[in-house]
Amino acid sequence: MSTLADGLLAVSGRQSLRQRTLERDSAVRRFDWLLLGSALVLCAVGALLIWSATRGAAAVRGTSPTAYLRRDVVNIGVGALLGAVVALAGSRALRRVAPWVYALACLGLVVVLTPLGSTINGSHSWIVLGGGVEVQPAEIAKVALVLGMALLLGEWRATPDRPGHLEVIVVLLLAGLPLGLVLLQPDLGTSLVFIFVVIGVLVVSGAPRRWVAGLVLAGAIGCVGVAQLHLLQDYQIQRFTAFVHPGADPRGFGYNATQARITVGSGGVFGTGLFQGPQTNGRFVPEQRTDFIFTVAGEELGFAGGATIILLLGLVLWRGLRIAARAPDPFGAMVAAGVVCWFAFQTFENIGMTVGIMPITGLPLPFLSYGGSAMFANLVAVGMLESVALSSPR
Amino acid sequence: MSPRYGARLGVLRVAVVVMLGVLLGRLWYLQISGQGAYQEAAIANSVRQVVVPGERGRILDAAGRPLVANRSALVVTVDRIALQRQPDSGRAVLRRLARVLHVRYDELRRRTTLCGPGAEPPCWNGSPYQPIPVAERADAAVALAIEERAEDFPGVSVEVSSVRDYPRPAGALAAHLLGYVAPISSAELARLPRARQDLRRNDVVGRAGLEQSYQPVLAGRDGVRRVAVDAVGAVTGTVDETPPSPGDDLVTSIDARVQRVLEDALGRGIGKARARGEPATTAAGVVLDARTGHVVAMASYPAYRPEVFVGGISTVDYRAVTDPAADVPLLNRAVQGEYAPGSSFKPISVSGVVTEGTASFDGRYSCPGSVTLGDRVFRNFEGTALGTLDLHTALVKSCDTVFYGFAQHDWYADEARIRHGDQPAEAAQRMARAYGLGSDTGVDLPAESSGQIDDRASKLERWQRYLRPNACAGAKRRAVGDPLRRLDRENCVDGWRFRLGDQANFDIGQGTVLVTPLQLAAAYAALVNGGTVYSPRVGKTVMAPDGHVVRRLSCPVRGRLPVPAQVRKDIVSALYDVPRWGTAAGAFAGFPLDRIHVGGKTGTAQAGIDAKHDTSWFASFAGRPGEQPQFVTVVAIPKGGQGARAAAPAVRAVWAGIYGVGKQRAAIPRLLRRSQ
Repeated sequence: MSTLADGLLAVSGRQSLRQRTLERDSAVRRFDWLLLGSALVLCAVGALLIWSATRGAAAVRGTSPTAYLRRDVVNIGVGALLGAVVALAGSRALRRVAPWVYALACLGLVVVLTPLGSTINGSHSWIVLGGGVEVQPAEIAKVALVLGMALLLGEWRATPDRPGHLEVIVVLLLAGLPLGLVLLQPDLGTSLVFIFVVIGVLVVSGAPRRWVAGLVLAGAIGCVGVAQLHLLQDYQIQRFTAFVHPGADPRGFGYNATQARITVGSGGVFGTGLFQGPQTNGRFVPEQRTDFIFTVAGEELGFAGGATIILLLGLVLWRGLRIAARAPDPFGAMVAAGVVCWFAFQTFENIGMTVGIMPITGLPLPFLSYGGSAMFANLVAVGMLESVALSSPR
Repeated sequence: MSPRYGARLGVLRVAVVVMLGVLLGRLWYLQISGQGAYQEAAIANSVRQVVVPGERGRILDAAGRPLVANRSALVVTVDRIALQRQPDSGRAVLRRLARVLHVRYDELRRRTTLCGPGAEPPCWNGSPYQPIPVAERADAAVALAIEERAEDFPGVSVEVSSVRDYPRPAGALAAHLLGYVAPISSAELARLPRARQDLRRNDVVGRAGLEQSYQPVLAGRDGVRRVAVDAVGAVTGTVDETPPSPGDDLVTSIDARVQRVLEDALGRGIGKARARGEPATTAAGVVLDARTGHVVAMASYPAYRPEVFVGGISTVDYRAVTDPAADVPLLNRAVQGEYAPGSSFKPISVSGVVTEGTASFDGRYSCPGSVTLGDRVFRNFEGTALGTLDLHTALVKSCDTVFYGFAQHDWYADEARIRHGDQPAEAAQRMARAYGLGSDTGVDLPAESSGQIDDRASKLERWQRYLRPNACAGAKRRAVGDPLRRLDRENCVDGWRFRLGDQANFDIGQGTVLVTPLQLAAAYAALVNGGTVYSPRVGKTVMAPDGHVVRRLSCPVRGRLPVPAQVRKDIVSALYDVPRWGTAAGAFAGFPLDRIHVGGKTGTAQAGIDAKHDTSWFASFAGRPGEQPQFVTVVAIPKGGQGARAAAPAVRAVWAGIYGVGKQRAAIPRLLRRSQ
């Protein structure tokens, strides 16, 4: 192949593809292969874990044991395609579509609140499009928030270096709309992601420290206030109680937390082996293929597997931070920082609730949890990072 | 490269490293430091211990006919944990189940609630992990309805369990002998080591009769199956299993056919006594193998259907079998009933006086209609005077006044000894004890009564303990002129005295002498078997389920009679004449005594204010002519009237049944033929 291509290029009198590819500043060399590789490895591991978590129930119901595996692989494929499109479109295109994505996400979040939305697991977060396709606008909103903030803080600001008070207020208004809509669902987990992304991106953008401190304070007061004013749903309070007092009702609302911890804890160093976990096969952990996918890794792959997954996620975050640091412009840096904040918080919250150091909220683990919208959003986010990487000078 | 972001990204970098570090640290803590505890929790989560009960051994008669066997019953159980995992805590499942079982939902809900504060009975007292039985006697249609729609009944299962079955060979019920089983009590559970309690919660334990005394033999060893279950409690596989092992069978010396004969004889004896106008409502009988001490048959009337205890007795049934108005059918009167033996005690008195030399079979004694002892007149039975007679005739005709003379002699001799500062001899009492009376026979049946043989010391003790406090209080309380006031005052002061009248009553088995039918049977067996007092046994062999003999159970020897052989022979020879021309002649009229050699002694014990309350006794033995007797049969019918009229005919019916008289087929064939 390559000889033929080389020959053709040589005839045309231009540099060979091989030479161009290997050139220091080529797209192939600027592309972050390590980021893509670790993301795809995580997706593959996730597919295996989803398979393990869903085999048993399928056997009981008499459905195909690989049904979820196959759908996850399709999700990965579609997500990778979307990610590739985003990566290749370049950051200029991203800037252009950012307002539209933001508008689409907000529209989706509004539609979810209308009777067109569906409730799954106490959260009114889905739009069922029919034919088994469900869209979670909150996932699109994460992309939209990152792009929107990057656009505001990276492009349209008055002062060249740091955002001023005006920019911060505009950013807060921009983030406040989807945040409010998400809170109405109610989807506490996604709102926390939003808050973390907003604070993180503002820090990186160099926003005035008073604003950052004020926001952190407001967030804390908000959390207490929400609890005091009984704005939380009962199940949210119970989840929090279960987190503070895990033994309070091990068969009731503390069940998830207790079982998740038992499942992870029983894995030991090397785990029981894939498909061999009694806790997983006995389906003791609810929502195991989605929010609690990490328990499968904990039980069946042990500390070795669990730590590898955390390190792979760390690799993704490290590459994201590296891309942010090398971004050619503030927009790229803000996009990369936003994605890192998003992934970092979601990873910490998801694995954290699985191992009992964070209260339970419905957040998927990036790349690993089953779910189309989340998978698409994650891989699109990887595409966004790659597009920044591609636009960066070596 | 935008170096100006470097420093600010540093904040993010630190945050990311800290977050991932915290996760890794926590993961290490859970999986490596705390691994053991979580693995245990996972096992506790997903592995359930299921007790597989070992089948209880059977109880067989001497010929191997099962008196108690096992049969399979379908038991519907409910797993609480699976119910609680249901969205409505299993309410819908219980409602459906109640419809199928035709019980009320409330009842079902209560039975599946753990006992504790606020839980109404019948709540579940067992392990929360053990499936709770809610219907012990389900029929196949119910089982099918549940099994076919398993998805409608999560946590409900139908199990085959083994329950006691009573085949009644030859129609023998033997309810009292066999006893019954009941679930282990919480007190018994509490005595077990804590680790074993959960496994034993569903145990059944023998509660009466042979089921109780042979509990360790009959009880099977439970197996434990450890099964893996999923989150809804459905079993996904077996982890490991210790198989149960069945209990051993108990082969008894009971002969089912003789048992049936005895049970029929008691029932008919009561019927006849009542037809005569006697108020008899209870009866007891024992057939012993005189030579070995084994129990061949034992019955108590009224009886009950042992089936009422299968799968737990209902409150109504339990009230019925313990109802005093119905004479407490649960009582085994053959070992738990204590009655004065009346004249059936006389062979024991004679053993005493002849062995002591006070009297002799060569002597002649007068038998007046009455004797005055101290200030009381003691009448012969119905006041008959028989002139002068020898001891043989005194026994055959059951002359009381002869025995009063012996009692007088003994009593004065003892009083003289006491005056001289010696211990009283109390020879008659000593002889009675040598015959095994006044103490437990040690039979392999629970809750035996020990009877009562009164002497000076025991009377004093009883007076101090019971009579004096009551009598003295009564004397104070009662009005002057109340005739009972005098009696109470007398008892308060003098009730401890063992008077001449007491000794006189003792020698003829009246007054304070109390024996159980089994005690008397064992005493008669000793009399006719060469003087060996056995502790009777119902169990004969312990047999493993594969048929090999684990242990043979012989009757321990309690003692030897201190009665010379000639004396025993003289007494036995007198008793052989009782059915011929003595007090039982009427009852045995027409009985082939030449073919079946029957001896015995009637007894009519005064137990109350009038003759209506007399206990009717006949203690008897039988065998081939010219040989040592094979069997001893004792029948007691309280309130049955004279021994000769109620008990003796019943015993006759037993002998007729055992040996086969007239058209009746012998319950034990070839008994008589073997000698020829």
